[in-house]
Amino acid sequence: MLPRNLNEKLSTEKFRTIREIHDAFDKKLLSPVELTRDYLAAAQASETGAYLLLCEERAMEQAKAADQVLAREGKVPRDRLPLLGIPLGIKDNLTMDGVRTTCGSKMLENYIPPYTATCVERLEKAGAVSLGKLSMDEFAMGGSNENSAFGPVKHPTHPDRVPGGSSGGSASAVGAGLCVGSLGSDTGGSIRLPASYCGVVGVKPTYGRISRYGLVAFASSLDQVGPLTRTVEDAALLMDVMSGFDPMDSTTVPMPATRSFQALQKPADLKGLRVGIPKEYFIGGLEPDVEKAIQTSLRWLESQGAKLVPISLPHTQYAVAIYYIVAVSEASSNLARFDGVRFGVRPKDITEVKDLTGFYEAVRNGFGAEVKRRIILGTFALSSGYAEAYYKRACQVRRQTKQDFDLAFQDVDVIVGPVSPTTAFKLGEKASDPLRMYLNDIFTIPANLVGLPSMSVPCGVDSKGLPIGFHLMTPLFQEDRMFSVGQAVFQGLGGGSGYGLAQGSNVGRL
Amino acid sequence: MHPEFEAVIGLEVHCQLSTDTKIFCGCRARMPDGTSIADVEVNSNTCPVCTGHPGTLPVLNGKVVEYAIKAGLATHCRINLHNVFSRKNYFYPDLPKGYQISQFDKPICEHGYLEIETKAGARKVEIQRIHMEEDAGKNVHMAGFSLVNLNRAGVPLIEIVSGPDMKTSEEAGAYLRGLHAIVTYLGICDGNMQDGNFRCDANVSVMPKGATQLGTRAEIKNVNSFRFVEKAIDYEIARQIEIVKSGGKIVQETRNYDSDKNITVSMRSKEEAHDYRYFPEPDLTPLNIDPALVEQIRATLPELPEQRRNRLIHELGLSVYDAGVLTGSKALVEFFEKGVGILVSAPSDSRNQMGGQAAAKQYAKSVANLMTGEVARLVNESGTEIGASKLTPTHIADVVRLVQAGLISSTAAKQVISTIWKTGDAVAVIVKSEGLEQVSDTSALEPVIDRVIAAFPGQAADFRGGKDKLLGFFVGQVMKEMGGKANPGMLGDLIKKKLTA
Amino acid sequence: MVEINEELTLKVGHLARLALSEHEVKTFTAQLGMILKYVEQLQEVNVDGVEPMTHPYIDRADLAAPLRKDEAKPFPRDENGKPKVLLHAPEVLFDGFKVPPIL
Repeated sequence: MLPRNLNEKLSTEKFRTIREIHDAFDKKLLSPVELTRDYLAAAQASETGAYLLLCEERAMEQAKAADQVLAREGKVPRDRLPLLGIPLGIKDNLTMDGVRTTCGSKMLENYIPPYTATCVERLEKAGAVSLGKLSMDEFAMGGSNENSAFGPVKHPTHPDRVPGGSSGGSASAVGAGLCVGSLGSDTGGSIRLPASYCGVVGVKPTYGRISRYGLVAFASSLDQVGPLTRTVEDAALLMDVMSGFDPMDSTTVPMPATRSFQALQKPADLKGLRVGIPKEYFIGGLEPDVEKAIQTSLRWLESQGAKLVPISLPHTQYAVAIYYIVAVSEASSNLARFDGVRFGVRPKDITEVKDLTGFYEAVRNGFGAEVKRRIILGTFALSSGYAEAYYKRACQVRRQTKQDFDLAFQDVDVIVGPVSPTTAFKLGEKASDPLRMYLNDIFTIPANLVGLPSMSVPCGVDSKGLPIGFHLMTPLFQEDRMFSVGQAVFQGLGGGSGYGLAQGSNVGRL
Repeated sequence: MHPEFEAVIGLEVHCQLSTDTKIFCGCRARMPDGTSIADVEVNSNTCPVCTGHPGTLPVLNGKVVEYAIKAGLATHCRINLHNVFSRKNYFYPDLPKGYQISQFDKPICEHGYLEIETKAGARKVEIQRIHMEEDAGKNVHMAGFSLVNLNRAGVPLIEIVSGPDMKTSEEAGAYLRGLHAIVTYLGICDGNMQDGNFRCDANVSVMPKGATQLGTRAEIKNVNSFRFVEKAIDYEIARQIEIVKSGGKIVQETRNYDSDKNITVSMRSKEEAHDYRYFPEPDLTPLNIDPALVEQIRATLPELPEQRRNRLIHELGLSVYDAGVLTGSKALVEFFEKGVGILVSAPSDSRNQMGGQAAAKQYAKSVANLMTGEVARLVNESGTEIGASKLTPTHIADVVRLVQAGLISSTAAKQVISTIWKTGDAVAVIVKSEGLEQVSDTSALEPVIDRVIAAFPGQAADFRGGKDKLLGFFVGQVMKEMGGKANPGMLGDLIKKKLTA
Repeated sequence: MVEINEELTLKVGHLARLALSEHEVKTFTAQLGMILKYVEQLQEVNVDGVEPMTHPYIDRADLAAPLRKDEAKPFPRDENGKPKVLLHAPEVLFDGFKVPPIL
């Protein structure tokens, strides 16, 4: 890395949002190659452990190509290449042709996919630069990024704490300024929870908006790819580029891409907005600072003319139980393909194994403990004699959960609350107690069960300076409204300065 | 049939559909030049989807749904407009995802039947269900290891499950042949059992006659011809009866048929009760079929074997037997109809003056005789399908024309066909080169007849004296004189005339 | 309520082809027991007449993807003409994936 004047900010710190970067490109204050080089340097120097792999050569090629486009066009062609030269990080469960993808697992330590995920392809077609692959809990199973086989990821500003998970690398990288934005995946809160802990914006789109082709499946009916960014506007832009029907994924909805970025150009009118406050979310159990931040956010919304409407989501208490049956059941099946036959790591002594069962067992011993635990739980929940009482019943209460929301959305336009009962906890604090870990997801899980679009927006920090996220959910396919309200909250309360750590916020430190 | 026991037989048939692509990805299910997928370069007909790479997803081929509906309509099934795919979970090297996408509790077709005809008469065999699923790859076993080839993984299948509705191997054979005819007629399956297009598993159990409780069943897999299925079933029924009679218990297991020894052999060692943990496939939304599509398909169904059989009997006057043999295979009946068509539409033929229908019947009978006789023999002996042989409908038409004109005898016709099967030469060429021309010219025949009568005065006298049977003797002698080339049909009358003149 | 014991854990583990060490069997059985106890609360919900929802759009025929056309799209090979799925496979012999003897 070249020595630099320590008084001069890296371009990664001077130009932080897509808008700022493109303006700088247009004014020739910055070039794509410079920007990518600075981000790669920052990533290399970082001690967060956010990146598992940096694609230096590949990224520089993309940056050079962006340079050439600029030279040819004079300005960034925002219509055709809305992400020209924008460096992004990609969660390591999204495939890229020829680039190692591990899913945070020893099993796939050597896995080189033969194809690229649709969402990544669309970003790159729009001009984005893929800096590298971001760490995650193994196979997306975890809430703290302590389950990665390659070491935990650290919180961007408080290195003794977890960044949240499973998209811990994705959130930490954005929070630490190691990329403009990143891709994560969300099955029960895996984008929104780490976004909340790290003070960045995290979005889980409506189920079926963004293609899952190339997302290594955890729970097929719950998984969604989504962006993590410093600002709501950037998240909306990434959404727009990635979303839309994909013929390679039958669960994508036959709808065109979202146009949320455009919708954001009109400032939100919160007057008369009916904001639903589920009574089941506020029965105690929130850390006091979290409670305070959420209440402050609610008061702020009211001050802008929104109407707070108490609602009830009676099946809230069952959300975690449903999730921990449905998700693990699907996962136990999705992970059966990791059998060492066509890809993946075979242990060194595999040649000694002379029978098939022994072979499978030896290969699948490469899974970490959390993954094994969930596979066993899922296999159990689907097995003969138990499937009715566990899998089927969980799916029935899942439907009842959806009915709760259908009813509630008749009276409100958006449902809000905390993302997590706590802020980022210390590394190792919850690792030995899986159940305690699972209960962190209680507010985020329902959106996955029902497929609702949802996001985490930074709304303040606690007394230790740890970020707090504000959670929003709107009805199916209403991303425009969700982004609009999210933007208002973001600008009014949280990361208006654009760095995402609630600097310069009106709420300030509590 | 055993006096004290009866057998219960259910059949599961897996048909590989003849679509262009696999069921869930764009890889080929058949090669454009006709090469079987099984013969293509190992693992070259693959993609990340059908090899179960992480992050891949199935996308349903609409043609598979169409073909499944066709099969259901042709077997009088109810088409379930709302049907669901499910995962069948188990570990096996030729199953790349660790589960097979199939249909479990909501298959696309249900509750149909197939009419069969046996010596005991006609009856309906219940078809419980037809569902869509994907084929697995292939394992090749070597010494000390196995190799997996996934070219075939993902090829579309329909599984047709009969009720436990058959009692004899004859019924089973009739059912299989009937089903085979239907799927080949529909054009949804190539029906080549050797290549694995049409696979049959038989579930066999026995119980005391009149009992209501079904016995334990054994499943016989991997039998690749109708004849072998029948033999395997016969063997298995006998084996089970023996065991039960001697007080033993039938083990529920999978068995293989050994065609050399004509026995079924247990595959028990690798079998354990599978818990497939079926659940609805979350990567595929439920399939909702438009009733208009079903009607559209129904309207475009080709003539099915039963209808065609009836038409051949009523319109062309074929015997039930001949019609049955010919409609047993789409290739065979189409060949037949082409041959008849060539004859009927030939411009200069005195037969045509007889009127279209009568002419057609005449030709039909002649062509049918040749096809159910000599041609069928050649097909069975050589194992070559008629479509792959050198014989064409034009050949048959030429032969029939020559026979009806008296230019070759019917015996010679068989020889000609046999030669065409080997060489593919034109009929005229063969008749000439093998000297098969038949003499039907009376002016050529009469001198020979005169000579023969003169040579056997004793027999001539006996004939005139009333021993009519001696006519055959004279016919034979004239034939001998003419090296077999006399038109036998004419000889009788000519000789009689001369003898009694 | 289901009593999860070590035998059941091992049996389920085998279904999933997971060989568990003694320590894993003990720990997992205990942890799974706790989790199952937690999800037991689902048994108290009245689910009479409720159709299981295995997917968010299971009832939304309007959101179903169109069916694929039956047109071949062979997956491109690498620059050496090799099928890409063989490129980084763990063990390949005669172009087949090599595994221990199946029979």
